[in-house]
Amino acid sequence: MSTARLEEVRRAFVAELEQAGTSADGVEKVRVKFAGQRSGKLKELAEALRALPNDQKRDYGRALNELKQEIESRLAEAKQAAVTEIRVKDPGTANAKGHAPTVAVGRPVDVTLPGLPVARGAEHPVHIVRRRIEEIFLRMGYDVEAGPEVEDDWHNFEALNIPPDHPARDDQDTFYLADGHLLRTHTSPVQARVMESRQPPIRIVVPGRVFRRDSDLRHSPMFHQIEGLLVDEGITFGHLKATLEAFLHELFSDRVAVRLRPGYFPFTEPSAEVDISCIFCAQKGCGVCSGSGWIEILGSGMVDPRVFEAVGIDAGRYTGFAFGLGLDRVAMLVYGIPDLRQLFAGDQRLTRQFA
Amino acid sequence: MKFEARWLAELLDAAPPAAELAARLTDCGLLVELREQGDGSEVWDVEVTTNRPDAMNHRGLAREAAVATGSRLRPLEFELAENGDEVASLAAVEIAAGTPCSRYVARVIRGVRVGPSPEWLQRRLSNCGVRPINSAVDATNYVLLELGQPLHAFDLGRLRGRRVVVRPAAKGERLTTLDGVARELDPSMMVIADETRAVALAGIMGGAETEIHAGTTEVLLESACFDALSVRRTARRLGMHTEASHRFERGADPEIAAVACDRAAHLIAELAGGELATGRIDVWPRPWQPRRIELSVAALAAFAGLEIPAARVEAILGGLGFAPARSGDTVRVAVPAFRVDVERVADLYEEVLRHVGYGAVPAALPVLPTAPGKRHPNWQLVDRARDAALAAGLAEVVTWSFIDPGADRLVASQPLCPGPAATLANPLATTQSVLRRSLLPGLLSAAQGNLNQGERSLALFEQGRVFAGGAAGPSEPERLGIVLRDDGGDAEARFRRLKGVVEHVGTKVGLPALHWRAGGNPWLDETAGAILETADGRAVGLAGLLAPEIAAHWDLGAGVAVAELALDTATAPPLPRFAALARFPPVVMDMTVEHGSELGYAGLEAATRELAGEHVEGLGFVTRYHLPDGSGRVRTTLRLVYRHAERSLTQDEVNAWHADLRRGLAERLGVGFA
Repeated sequence: MSTARLEEVRRAFVAELEQAGTSADGVEKVRVKFAGQRSGKLKELAEALRALPNDQKRDYGRALNELKQEIESRLAEAKQAAVTEIRVKDPGTANAKGHAPTVAVGRPVDVTLPGLPVARGAEHPVHIVRRRIEEIFLRMGYDVEAGPEVEDDWHNFEALNIPPDHPARDDQDTFYLADGHLLRTHTSPVQARVMESRQPPIRIVVPGRVFRRDSDLRHSPMFHQIEGLLVDEGITFGHLKATLEAFLHELFSDRVAVRLRPGYFPFTEPSAEVDISCIFCAQKGCGVCSGSGWIEILGSGMVDPRVFEAVGIDAGRYTGFAFGLGLDRVAMLVYGIPDLRQLFAGDQRLTRQFA
Repeated sequence: MKFEARWLAELLDAAPPAAELAARLTDCGLLVELREQGDGSEVWDVEVTTNRPDAMNHRGLAREAAVATGSRLRPLEFELAENGDEVASLAAVEIAAGTPCSRYVARVIRGVRVGPSPEWLQRRLSNCGVRPINSAVDATNYVLLELGQPLHAFDLGRLRGRRVVVRPAAKGERLTTLDGVARELDPSMMVIADETRAVALAGIMGGAETEIHAGTTEVLLESACFDALSVRRTARRLGMHTEASHRFERGADPEIAAVACDRAAHLIAELAGGELATGRIDVWPRPWQPRRIELSVAALAAFAGLEIPAARVEAILGGLGFAPARSGDTVRVAVPAFRVDVERVADLYEEVLRHVGYGAVPAALPVLPTAPGKRHPNWQLVDRARDAALAAGLAEVVTWSFIDPGADRLVASQPLCPGPAATLANPLATTQSVLRRSLLPGLLSAAQGNLNQGERSLALFEQGRVFAGGAAGPSEPERLGIVLRDDGGDAEARFRRLKGVVEHVGTKVGLPALHWRAGGNPWLDETAGAILETADGRAVGLAGLLAPEIAAHWDLGAGVAVAELALDTATAPPLPRFAALARFPPVVMDMTVEHGSELGYAGLEAATRELAGEHVEGLGFVTRYHLPDGSGRVRTTLRLVYRHAERSLTQDEVNAWHADLRRGLAERLGVGFA
């Protein structure tokens, strides 16, 4: 045994390590063979030291030490560079060591296969629209209010300046219960309830289900509205106009034009019908706007002093505005749904389109 | 309402082109919805709101047009040739005391020869959608279109006693109206009568027996003011709606009655010949007095958010017939008789503003406190439920609030039924006549519809209110309903899928801890249904597979899983608190327990949890195996996760705990271990 043996081992180590390349398994095998604790070459060489004559011990020991350091450092390097090897067991499958469960790879994946479906919830379009509108008004400091769907005549009609036998009751043909209650024909009774229960400033929107005794392509005995009300000192018609513009720009686009036309509602005076420029044809005229370039989108006006009187708010001190629009109508418009009643048929194919 | 554009233009000095006229009318609140070519003129469909009966005629609309375009309304000019006997010698009119008729004007034309009207008149009527009949009737219709006053022409020769009385109908009195319908009347209805019988329904329709016919020679022309409410109630009770009732219901102009009578008498004499009796009968117990209102120009500016010059205010109100007189900031007006809608200063603001143009008002956002908006707790609640269902992958549907009485009767047996049903007094259809007391009927109809469309798997929910009536007054609690259906899986798998959704929703919504008790029949299958109860035993939900009888009612097959939850017991869930993350490794041990089916999983789990000791971090269900030996016994595998917060556990100590646990369970529950 001599230093020549050390050189022999060194060469074998270098050659085998080279052959192992970047295979973690290969490097590990080389490590066991040369630097293994139990039967590695280095251990064997170190044991040989004892058997050497004393005069050779010094040189041999130094050379062995150098070899040991070299082997260890090169092993460390190789280990760092190594990657986990995937051993092919049989064609088409392979095991990646250290991974559970076994991942079958090898055969190329058709990357054009469809992805697996995810369980997505789908919100009803009316509620998507409701929440968008609520959000816009919440950002402007409006509270979102709620109230009963089964109402009394006072809140649904009389407090809103619609006395019995008023012709406006024709436009809102009403469902009555056997006990004299009615199904609210609009969300406005909640306005009356809120004004009865607190003093201005009042800044609210009221979304909800409403009912009218009417059924065709554009009318459904049940639909949804959102109503807005702002009451304070010094509220002007210009405030109403700006608020509606801000809202409609936010809901549709900053590019839509907003037009207020005089209209009539018993609970506002003056009243205004509000149109937006047609979002489908840039006002060139299309089926949606019936060629007029405008789409009627909401009704509004300054709160009629009679309404204030009915609910106990000082009409001399406060003014206010109110507005209301059909959530279903907005949903139909935005998503191009032709038949209002389709919204309430419970067809999941409809809802799933808006997931 | 239909208007002839040419006629409108004739009433104006310097009328602008039709397109501009239509645009200006739309701007001031009289929406010209449709312009189409009629016979010799454009015909417009104008939307006149119910508060503006004054604009439901050509002169009224032209008055608006004049102000809107800066032109002038031409005065109404015609020459009345009275060449007959004194009218008082030919007929008499009486308004019975207390009858809601404020004025009755009449004229008499004798020696008429009724025939077809001239072509120009027929064309004008046709353009406005009125069918020409004969010259006398056409003249009254023409004046209706021109001045808005409903008129009626009687064959005076057929009025017994040559007199008319405005009075309430007698009980059971009968009248055959012009449309040929024999009607039975009652004292709430106002009629025109002769000496012996009713001859017309006041303000609604004339009678057949006294109508103008080819042989008529004497005409009594009625131009009256009937009370809006009375006409409206009678018309509704009889299910009638006529040109006359439409206007009277909205409020008649008392001043125009005489003018219109003269105008129509003039036309009849001109078209049908004959001589016009001298003078007119005019029963007007309490002549009309104009309402006077004051307006402050400064207050108007503050209200509008726009300075409007006083002169402009005056010009607008003057053009509309309000005879304004200004001193300083104050404008005093007298509301003309035709403006039944104008009562207060707010109404005047509207008159000025709509003619100034809403477009002219500058938009300015109000300055308000920057307090953030808040959502009503009810909306927070229902949207929590909605969000939870959406997160579980369900599709939202919105179904009708009213359902079929047959379906409702089934709901009465539900443990969640909120009370006696509330029924609609006037439903559109009997299938939609009861307010729903459960969301499930609507959802099951939806499920049926979806399956009919070839959908195989359903995951639907609805959030909405159910209703109950009864002596305590109406109630409308919030609910969440769920329907699930898949092609695969046994009853247990389907039930557990539903339960997973319900438990998830319950947690997210903030329902109290739910106790699942087998039940729910007859709605739920006897072998796969549960009632969900709070700790104090209140039912707040039901969940399970639909019973076959209920499924059959909606024509649904087996395996449909449904749930309904009452949301009103929920409270907003508390904010989650962070729990320290474990640093030492867990030891996972499975345990298979063999036991009889009388021991439910909940009982096994509770006992295991109690006996497992402090180092069991997690306890879960793995699987259950039904022994095939007919014993009805099952093997339930539980997985326990042992972990110590401060050190690693040794397998030996865990084995010892696990063995203690098994012993404990065997002692307490008498179970065995596989």
